[in-house]
Amino acid sequence: MPVIPVAGSEEFANLPTSPAETRRIVGTAVKLHEVGQSVIDALDPLTYEVIRHRLTSITEEMGEALKRMSGSVVVTDCNDFDAAIMDEVGDVVQVGLYNTELAASLDMAVSWTLRHRAARPGIAPGDMFLCNDPWVGGGLHQNDVSLFAPLFIDGELFAWTGAVAHQVDLGGVSPGSWSVAATDVFWESVPTPPVKIVENGEIRDDIEDMYLRRSRVPKLVALDLRAKIGANNVAHERLHALCEKYGAATVKAVMRRVLKDAETRLRAKLSELPDGSWTSVAHQDSARSGDRGIYKIVCTLTKTRDTLTFDFTGTDPQVDGLINCTYAGLRGGIMPVLLTTLCGDIPWAPGGLYRCVEIISEPGTINNCTFPSGIGKASVASAWATTNVVTECLAGLLDAHPEHRKRLMSVCCGTWDFALLAGVDQRGGGFVTMLCDSMAGGLGARTHSDGVDTGGLACIPMGRVADVEMNEFSFPMLYLWRREEADSGGPGRFRGGVGASSCFIPYDSPLGGVHLVVSAPGKALPLAGGLAGGLPAGTQHDVLLRSTSVHEDFAAGRIPALLSELGGEAEVIPSHHETDLGSADVYFTHWQGGGGYGDPLLREPGAVAADVIAHKVSVTGAHDVYGVVLASDGTVDQDATTSHRSALRLSRAGLDSDRQEVNA
Amino acid sequence: MSLFIDDNLEQHSDGSVTCRHCSHLVGDAAAPMNAARVTETAPRTAGPSVREDAALFADRPIVFRRTFCPECLTLLQAEIVPGDEVSSRHRSLIVGA
Repeated sequence: MPVIPVAGSEEFANLPTSPAETRRIVGTAVKLHEVGQSVIDALDPLTYEVIRHRLTSITEEMGEALKRMSGSVVVTDCNDFDAAIMDEVGDVVQVGLYNTELAASLDMAVSWTLRHRAARPGIAPGDMFLCNDPWVGGGLHQNDVSLFAPLFIDGELFAWTGAVAHQVDLGGVSPGSWSVAATDVFWESVPTPPVKIVENGEIRDDIEDMYLRRSRVPKLVALDLRAKIGANNVAHERLHALCEKYGAATVKAVMRRVLKDAETRLRAKLSELPDGSWTSVAHQDSARSGDRGIYKIVCTLTKTRDTLTFDFTGTDPQVDGLINCTYAGLRGGIMPVLLTTLCGDIPWAPGGLYRCVEIISEPGTINNCTFPSGIGKASVASAWATTNVVTECLAGLLDAHPEHRKRLMSVCCGTWDFALLAGVDQRGGGFVTMLCDSMAGGLGARTHSDGVDTGGLACIPMGRVADVEMNEFSFPMLYLWRREEADSGGPGRFRGGVGASSCFIPYDSPLGGVHLVVSAPGKALPLAGGLAGGLPAGTQHDVLLRSTSVHEDFAAGRIPALLSELGGEAEVIPSHHETDLGSADVYFTHWQGGGGYGDPLLREPGAVAADVIAHKVSVTGAHDVYGVVLASDGTVDQDATTSHRSALRLSRAGLDSDRQEVNA
Repeated sequence: MSLFIDDNLEQHSDGSVTCRHCSHLVGDAAAPMNAARVTETAPRTAGPSVREDAALFADRPIVFRRTFCPECLTLLQAEIVPGDEVSSRHRSLIVGA
């Protein structure tokens, strides 16, 4: 059924608000700390750098605190969270190196809170606000729960700290809140606009009960809530100490300078690059289970002097399904690429960087959807696709500069390979978990080197994949393998990093099996594009084998290493699917690599031979795509390769040896 | 003064765009590959990286679209996209940038 507008939802359709406007609306309800320009101008370089680096280390400490207190493998082992320090109106001064998508819109949530909560119920020392409403900000889908805390110094609201992490289940029709049949948000977890869940340093039981009651794993979510409280408390202790040592005015002056420094240095870098426009597209196949549609996000990046404009005109309208994202998701798709490709030598202060960016987007499109569109998968659907298209556009910009082109990277792992398990674990307790194996995605190729194999995800610089043993200890599952997959990296003069696969069975659950939710597009077409003639990475590939011989194999002392050795009936799994796994069922999930760079026929033949030896490229791939003929000992047959490449150069362009159309 | 657009293309001060490998004219600043050769084949001709037939998952036709230098046949752009959709991949550098 089509999305029907909901009266009153416009209050939550948040957009970035200027500091001046936020201050105007807050008025006298909360006294906001300010610092004069003279204090900023008087900062000496040494003090500036010492405090700036301290702010960076505080976000790292927040991350450590969160990990040590959380009980969720998604957080403790995979780093699917982030932390940030913001100024008094929410501008992000320092974002942590974890999942930068998550922290890209904390500013919007804090600003909204100031504008809507300052008068009632008020903002006071010891308060913390919880939010998982992506229309407001703070996260990209409902599973991204942010907790942000005002820091008061001498009675003035001096700054905010925020922690946001993926919660494994917050209700909704399907386990993991990943309702693959969803047509709108009412199938999904309830979005919660900012609520004061910690007041005067104490958790409000009534609000916490309302929050946890929706979850299938409330104790785990409660622990994560305390982990985020702990992260904020650690940050507040450190910031208090910093203000005591240097004075609040000096610390705030550094925050202002960091924002300005980030802006100034990004503008300087942009000024070195040529003006022009770059347009690209990112597709997604399937919006929900049973859907066979393909949807596009189009972006035109225009670079004029020292400003970037991202224009998403041409993007498809929002769709019935769970793949839409809000404006916060759109920003979450842009900022990680800016940080990693343009800001390696610039402070990671999104509040300053956003000043160099303009965004044009029409509400009602799949990466700027209106309430009540389905957004349960936003972070790894339309937000991720936004990252893909922005990556291509920015790469095009950088490629036109002889020095800066060294920083570009093709699209990384085209999407998140979502596999969620739920049921009863080996200890008899209920469990839900998102398998995070695809944190080991392939990184995109660069202009001078191959992409890093299973190197991670560009948007989560410190993302990790949990050890197989940790997953087996925590959940009722047993791996047959987790390994890199040949040919999954996009071919090119420089090859995209390869992705990988995992293959496992339910194991040791009192129920015998587990529930499985799959949400993994990129099966009809690859989602990690190549650049400059480089090919896209491989497609996503998921197979479920029913009633296999795996237990007989184990009993005979064999560990199957190929799907063909397992018997049973194979089901190729569509992009969105929900089912049960029996004890003899095997699930194989193969995620994507990174896109390639440059024409594959220009790749050094010896590098292709080395790839074949290392199982990065198959013999078939070497011959058919790279045009490399290998001798029986695995070395390059130079003459045969030269001849084959000449023929392939013609045939792939649809020409015969006389350069006539093959089909003419 | 010329400008390298990427690994394969070079834009000149008069706005013309040539192949960096053979110097053949392939387009201009507004449309750098408008004189390039374009082919469309089945996605699985991209190689073993395409694991299954697209028709298993989608109703729209999917194609492997490649753009070549018309002279030396260097691959300039490759994409696997819906075949009923014109390519959205464009670029245009300001002449003299």
